[in-house]
Amino acid sequence: MPEQPHTEQTRTEQQPAERPHTGHGFGRVLVAVYGLLALAATGRSILQISEYFDRAPVSYVLSALAAVIYIVATIGLARGDRTSVRLATVALTVELVGVLVVGAISYAVPSAFPDKTVWSHFGSGYGYVPLLLPLVGLWWIRRTNRASEAVAPELAAPAESES
Amino acid sequence: MLQPLTVVVLVATGLLAILAAHHLLRRRLVDDPIVLTGAAIEVALLVQLVVGLTNASAIADGAERATFIAYLFTVLVVIPATVLIAIKEKTQWAMAVVLGGAVVVAILVARLQQVWSLHA
Repeated sequence: MPEQPHTEQTRTEQQPAERPHTGHGFGRVLVAVYGLLALAATGRSILQISEYFDRAPVSYVLSALAAVIYIVATIGLARGDRTSVRLATVALTVELVGVLVVGAISYAVPSAFPDKTVWSHFGSGYGYVPLLLPLVGLWWIRRTNRASEAVAPELAAPAESES
Repeated sequence: MLQPLTVVVLVATGLLAILAAHHLLRRRLVDDPIVLTGAAIEVALLVQLVVGLTNASAIADGAERATFIAYLFTVLVVIPATVLIAIKEKTQWAMAVVLGGAVVVAILVARLQQVWSLHA
């Protein structure tokens, strides 16, 4: 990404002294959306597993997995310390891979998913939010990481050698 | 279910959405009108919860009834959560969150009405 982080959205950065945080500014929107998805997916999978699990076990296990990932992503982005952000990065990557793989399978082998999941058909039942959200989230994490390296390079440097 | 109540909630969420959009454009943060409109919606949703729970037995299908009850409770969380997030945020993203929350409540209430009209 060639652009400088601060030129594009100066209106959001009114406090230049503050360290970039994945849960502040635009990040609040992400946390809210992930929180909502976590709530929806958790509720739905509790219902599916307790009420009619036999109807489509694979779909419902996937729903439960999605719920866990959304919870991890919400907490990780909201906390915003280095470990949390890494955890959130893993969750978002799994989410992206999941929605791509499940989306592709649901088109190729429709019988594999008799009941819809959040990820089938690339999340078309949810306005493709499940596909777009991990992309936006990973972009945001990358952007805040870059920005915090710019603000405090001495803190960001060990992270590189550590991983 | 209670048609008038649903209409009240939808109008109130529309009002909250307009207020939030206005504040977003004017770069204002959370103020009394936002909080009071949110509180009014929350009261209406609590009435909806009571009405919904007392009438839930009209939905014969067990899974649909469980969905209905789950929606009744879930919709209560949205406004307090979004307003709290908005209070903590001091940029205009605060109003974006409130705007999104208002839309989500409207969608959930419409879904409730849909589940009710299809299965009760």
